[in-house]
Amino acid sequence: MAVTPQTVEDLAHAGRSRGGWWSVVADFIRRRPLGAIGAAIILVMVFLAATAELIAPYDPLATDYAAMLAAPNKTHWLGTDAYGRDVLSRMVYGSRTALMVGLGASLLGAVFGSMIGVASAYFGGRVDLVVQRVMDVFFAFPVIILALAVVAVLGTGAGNVILAIATPMIPRCARVVRASALSVREMPYVDAARAAGFVHSRIILRHMLPNVMAPILIMATAFLGEAILLEASLSFLGLGVTEPTAAWGLMLRGAAVEFAESAPWMAVFPGLAISLAVFGFNLFGDSLRDALDPRLRTQ
Amino acid sequence: MRAGMTGYILKRLLLIIPTLFGVAVLIFLLLRVVPGDVVEARYMGQGGQFQSQEQMQLERKKLGLDQPMWKQFTTWMAGIARLDFGLSMWTGSPITEEIKLRFALSLQLAIMASTVATLLAIPLGILAAIKQDTWVDYAVRVFSIAGLAMPSFWLGILMILCMLIIFKWLPPMVFTPFWVNPWENLAQLFWPALAVGYRYSAVGTRMMRSAMLEVLREDYIRTARAKGLWMKLILSRHAMKNAILPVLTIISLEFAFLLGGLVVTEQVFNLNGLGMLFVEAIARRDYTLTQALVMLVATTFLIVNFAVDIAYAWLDPRIRYR
Amino acid sequence: MRQIVRLFALAAAAALSLASIAQTPRSGGELVFPVPSEPPSYDGHREETFGLIHPFAPFYNTLLRVDPNDTGGTKPAPSLAESWTVSPDSKTYTFKLRSGVKFHDGSEMTSKDVKASYDKIIFPPAGVGSTRQGQYAVVEAVEAPDAYTVRFRLKYASASFLASLLSPYNFIYKADTLAKDMNWYEKNIMGTGPFTFVEHVKGSHVVGKKNANYWDQGKPYLDGFRAIFMPSSSAQVAAVRAERAHIQFRGFSPKDRDTLKAALGDKITVQESPWDCILMVGINHEKKPFDDKRVRRALSLALDRHEASKSLSQIAIVKAVAGVQVPGTPFATPPEELNKLAGYWTDAAKSRAEARRLLKEAGVPEGFSFTFTNRGVPMPYEPLAVWMIDQWRQIGLNVKQEVLEGAAYFTPLRTGGTQVHMDFQCGYIVEPDLDMYKFLSTSRNPANYGRYSDPVLDDLYDKQSRATNVEERKRLVRQFEKRLLDEEAHYLMTLQWHRIIPHSSKLKGWTVTPSHYLNNTLDTVWLTQ
Repeated sequence: MAVTPQTVEDLAHAGRSRGGWWSVVADFIRRRPLGAIGAAIILVMVFLAATAELIAPYDPLATDYAAMLAAPNKTHWLGTDAYGRDVLSRMVYGSRTALMVGLGASLLGAVFGSMIGVASAYFGGRVDLVVQRVMDVFFAFPVIILALAVVAVLGTGAGNVILAIATPMIPRCARVVRASALSVREMPYVDAARAAGFVHSRIILRHMLPNVMAPILIMATAFLGEAILLEASLSFLGLGVTEPTAAWGLMLRGAAVEFAESAPWMAVFPGLAISLAVFGFNLFGDSLRDALDPRLRTQ
Repeated sequence: MRAGMTGYILKRLLLIIPTLFGVAVLIFLLLRVVPGDVVEARYMGQGGQFQSQEQMQLERKKLGLDQPMWKQFTTWMAGIARLDFGLSMWTGSPITEEIKLRFALSLQLAIMASTVATLLAIPLGILAAIKQDTWVDYAVRVFSIAGLAMPSFWLGILMILCMLIIFKWLPPMVFTPFWVNPWENLAQLFWPALAVGYRYSAVGTRMMRSAMLEVLREDYIRTARAKGLWMKLILSRHAMKNAILPVLTIISLEFAFLLGGLVVTEQVFNLNGLGMLFVEAIARRDYTLTQALVMLVATTFLIVNFAVDIAYAWLDPRIRYR
Repeated sequence: MRQIVRLFALAAAAALSLASIAQTPRSGGELVFPVPSEPPSYDGHREETFGLIHPFAPFYNTLLRVDPNDTGGTKPAPSLAESWTVSPDSKTYTFKLRSGVKFHDGSEMTSKDVKASYDKIIFPPAGVGSTRQGQYAVVEAVEAPDAYTVRFRLKYASASFLASLLSPYNFIYKADTLAKDMNWYEKNIMGTGPFTFVEHVKGSHVVGKKNANYWDQGKPYLDGFRAIFMPSSSAQVAAVRAERAHIQFRGFSPKDRDTLKAALGDKITVQESPWDCILMVGINHEKKPFDDKRVRRALSLALDRHEASKSLSQIAIVKAVAGVQVPGTPFATPPEELNKLAGYWTDAAKSRAEARRLLKEAGVPEGFSFTFTNRGVPMPYEPLAVWMIDQWRQIGLNVKQEVLEGAAYFTPLRTGGTQVHMDFQCGYIVEPDLDMYKFLSTSRNPANYGRYSDPVLDDLYDKQSRATNVEERKRLVRQFEKRLLDEEAHYLMTLQWHRIIPHSSKLKGWTVTPSHYLNNTLDTVWLTQ
């Protein structure tokens, strides 16, 4: 049987070995059904986002006041909202916004966070101390307040929202990655590289970073879920993505709350979409962590 | 042992001060970068076309907004040193007065939510660990992640609608402190505590499960399992201590954020708490109030952090000498 | 003979009282109502928010008030002033004050209190805020010749002066207190009103108790009131729905009204009225191509207001198609005339074709993009923005929305950094002087973010302000409106807001008016049981 992958390198190796990727995937599905469900949800979301123009029956921005607040029917499978816009189309395009914001913020947060975390762990000493204090400062702000403050400075809109959400993510990622990197730093090959006189950046990038990929990946998937939720909260407060963009959080605002009883499809479907997306990312991240965390081997 | 402990305590305490200072500087600068000021927010809010610019400038002078930044900062710092947290720029009342009642509500809510989270996380985590990879495990994980995945305001809206439509009942609209009327108090805060606690239990459950899994793998447990005595041993002091500690850590670390971070929940349940105050203060550009709130949350966070660090150091002497 | 007269009188009285038993106000009960926002201070002269009026107006009286039974919200009625006269040249207004009115601390209200309060409003000393000072520029002096007479001397005859005295914010304060500390009333309350102040818990609620020594015998009917601060509108609706609150004095959305009606049936009474609030599109005349009036006209022509009136009124608090005055009020332009203005034509297709033609003529390319700056308030800013962006799309314009929250909104407006933005206006009384002031040249009114100079418009405003003949005034107002909205299209009116007040049927004695600042003294309100 294929060797159970324990690190990302193992995974890559397994992919290249006999049986190839498919056996890895099949193995994953069999052993971690929850994670497989999560992955499936993510794939559906990505698919919808990529093919939105083909799949969505209507233009998400097209209003049709004659058909406003229509219940799900043959022409509008998920009904229409307060302006007569097709809920299904807006949901499909909304997945694109969610992924964009989620991926953007998550990537930004993970990239900058891990760079800071690894560098801090590698250089140690005073650099580490100062960086830790600075991270602590950002850490001491509740996530949503920090995001709010950034939105207040930069303004609303998708781009600014990505920055606003990434900001509280950076110190959190940095802390986790630093903990991981600290243990890597003691590894013999890092010492060897230092002794050989390699430049710091090279050691960090080629030796330390790959070995902390696992926690970074797990963080990133967890962040994606958080980011989508945070965007929903910000849009709910009116401080996120702006109309008439199709975004799940935005769809939950205002009219959706008001019409929650008489036209529940306006609030139920976007809420469900958000929950499912975050759910999927968390399930997948959970299983990924289980798979990659050597301490949880059950065999 | 004692000397090492005192030294460690002192070292951690000292580290709090620069961090707090950093928070103060950050929020101070952040607020002044944001466009608009409190005078504008107050007078232009309803059209303000009959208001003169000279009046507004005089207001700014009264609030000290015309002074250079470094002076505003040092005035603020000097005030804190005297334990005088200043006046709210929006209402002109002392900040301690503004925060008092909201703090009581948010504190109680944070405590109740953390309790709910703990009460959910520990048993569920243990259950999931014991029955790893069975449908029980899956059910627990799905249940806890579902709590994490649902937008809190969505859950809140659904809860209130349910209460209204099915039970024709609404929680009290006004906050009554616990010592004045415990029933009114709990009737209002129980529901948001439940919603919030459910959400936060997810992280705790996950942590409890993995910590428990680690404990379960230890050899002596394995042997005991084979012999059928595993239940007793699992619930032994040693096992529980090692497993529960990380969960309590996570939950207590989140506690500080429950103080100011429940913005949307407070809006949905109509709670007069710190989260709402935060949003209003930022929207009104009430610099002094926002600064004070941020410092409050940051201080709480750092103190809780400190307490957890000390607890860990006390339990695991190796940490002290790092 | 006397016996028969007495019997007859008794019988008449009995008949009358039987007839009026259904309408006799009942004393007792506590009125509970949610208030969406909390005011920064208690000083009515300083604040502009309804958040001050709803919970705190019951503690005070004003010199004059708007008749609480007038649905148009314009008729003056006596309050602290019993009666008044106007001099033949309309430059002197003399008010006779009531005697025996007591402040809540027992001291008597006399003319010196009225003078001190109005001096504070009209001639505030440096450092004392008076938000509506500009409305009283016409006042030369306020005099108190004797203890129960107050006289206002004006610089010139003004058609709107009496209306400006009806402002619900002009609380009458104690002269002695003001003499000691002009800012005392920011943090304290001492008035002559129907209710006395009990408590204010920050962020939570305000409680008032019946003033047993109120000058209007028999009133107030209520034992007290409780105003609860609730920013979330769904929480407010929930409170009324659960019958824990009787009314919300600002207004609910059409959907909320339908929900309440469906849930509570007859226990809910709905009162509706056009609202003296409107959103308009402001255009920065300093930014090309908006300096070209053809472009501005095109923007207005693209908006099919009549269609929107039907559809948007179902989801938002807007309804009537309006010009510069609330439809149905004395100076409002009747629909036949209004529909001749650009943007008000009933033929939408013709309107859009004309809009496209104008854009082409002005050299604006197809797909031209600009930014619409909107305020971060959900209702009705959002639905109107969504509607307008869609309408502009239909004439080939690609509009992006920039939403600025709270205080950030005014900065780019003030510094001229916007292209097209959403502006708003809310008045406490429908009065052309007050409603049209906003549109004066920016040199005269710096709060006109359109950044234009139009001396013809200013001249029309001044003429109508001094016109003492009502018909002449109407004519001038219409001319002003035509120039503002049609010829120059400096501003584009959207739809008039629509005030919807669903309230508990137990609440009586309250009539809706076009202003959510009026009729909040609560002295005429009573509860059935």
